[in-house]
Amino acid sequence: MRAIRAGFLQMLVLMRRDMMLFAACLTPVLAGLGIRLGIPFLEAVLTGWFSKSAVLSPYYALIDIFFAMLSPAMFCFVPAMVSLEEADERTAAYLFVTPLGRRGYLAARFGIPAVAAFLVTAVLLPVFRLSPLSPDRILGLAAGGALQGVIIALLIVTLSSNKLEGMAITKLSSLLIFGAAVPFFIRDRAQYLMSPLPSFWIGKAVFENMPFYMLPAFALSAVWICFLLRQYLRKT
Amino acid sequence: MRLRSLVLWDIRFQARYGFYFLYAVLTAIYVAILSAVPESWREKAAAILIFSDPASMGLFFMGAIVLLEKSQRTPWALAVSPVRAAEYIAAKVVSLSAISLVVAAVLTAAAGVDAGVGTGVNAGDYGGVGAGAYGSVDSCMVLLGTVLSSAVFTLLGIIIATRISSLNQFILWTVPVELVCFVPAILHLFRVGSPLADSMAANPRGPVQICMQTYTQTCTSGSSSAADAVAWLRYYPASVCMEMVSGQVPSPIGILMVMALIGVLFVAAKYCVLNMWGRMGGGKL
Repeated sequence: MRAIRAGFLQMLVLMRRDMMLFAACLTPVLAGLGIRLGIPFLEAVLTGWFSKSAVLSPYYALIDIFFAMLSPAMFCFVPAMVSLEEADERTAAYLFVTPLGRRGYLAARFGIPAVAAFLVTAVLLPVFRLSPLSPDRILGLAAGGALQGVIIALLIVTLSSNKLEGMAITKLSSLLIFGAAVPFFIRDRAQYLMSPLPSFWIGKAVFENMPFYMLPAFALSAVWICFLLRQYLRKT
Repeated sequence: MRLRSLVLWDIRFQARYGFYFLYAVLTAIYVAILSAVPESWREKAAAILIFSDPASMGLFFMGAIVLLEKSQRTPWALAVSPVRAAEYIAAKVVSLSAISLVVAAVLTAAAGVDAGVGTGVNAGDYGGVGAGAYGSVDSCMVLLGTVLSSAVFTLLGIIIATRISSLNQFILWTVPVELVCFVPAILHLFRVGSPLADSMAANPRGPVQICMQTYTQTCTSGSSSAADAVAWLRYYPASVCMEMVSGQVPSPIGILMVMALIGVLFVAAKYCVLNMWGRMGGGKL
């Protein structure tokens, strides 16, 4: 436990040196303010322009889902970049043979940030939400978002062997969160093509107001994380 | 000859690290998005997609490319080789522009952008002297705009990448650059920079008017002064690039501004690369 704490603090020092710690903490607040103030303003402009009663407001719940995924994405993306640096500089290999070990390394780099992201989202989402959200739904979205952040981070470090491949995977893996938009836009059975994505079920749970659908989201997240963890441990 | 070898080497490097696979997947996704977008929005959606991804890929990837080269000690080798900094930069610009060009061509075809078809506006709307007929959309202009945008973003990426020591630093530095490049260009695409009077006359309930009304109510400022304040957007290099990427013919002054910017950025990038080689593989102790 002491090794994990030290490993996490080492990462914070690296992040602080790059000003990324500041950016990671500030971005969810700035994005939240932008959403809370900007989207209703934009809605007023667009409804006037299209002479419709609603343009964006039917998608406020979707914007809330994306916001719930933003903090975890930021909190897990930054450690993923640190891990890529460490993989390139071979420092990760040295850390693996210390008492930290590979599992401790993963806990320090992704476990603690994911828990922090969950707490931050659970605090910020009720403040910046656009649609009515019950406390249990807020917790569900925060947990789903945190798991999504871990999946993205693990995809980056598992599928890439250097910074450049990492950036390419980052670009692709960030598209996974758009699975949440599918139930909002594709109403027929074709939407189930995206069913292997946990974000799809999060979107479906919110869109159809069926909290039950969070269960497949969590189960699929667990499958993704276990698979990626196994691949990562095999690779390192 | 050296430039040709460097370009081929960069292309091989990009292929090895999955650039071509990545952009094949991304292009398929973008084509699917374009086919799902209503036809009337397709041109603008294609322009935003091309400008924000294939055209700006140099800015996104350059940090990782240069940092990987640094970790592999490539600058050490380059510093003692006959390769000139200008050739190194040109090779990066050419190789990345090639990918941008292919992706843009596919997206242009998917969006159904073709000569003489479309509803875009040209520089004439802004009092410019664009050669295209009103409303004409030229796919060659899209490709030219993509190449120029790609050159600008790649050069910006090189300038930033040579000065940073970690990916997180690079990502943080690119945020203000992206804001400065993307926001005015997207505003320009939606004609926020056009003369307000024309826009209001064409559409008395247009978004510009509503925005300006809100702006006027909150800031008690005249709408014409705000329109004047954003009129510069038509000569802003990022806006000119966006204009071209959306298939419109920009004014000659706009093209001149972009070329001048590329020249300035190239010189700055050359200075930064020489500096990096000096620090990493040169004689500085």
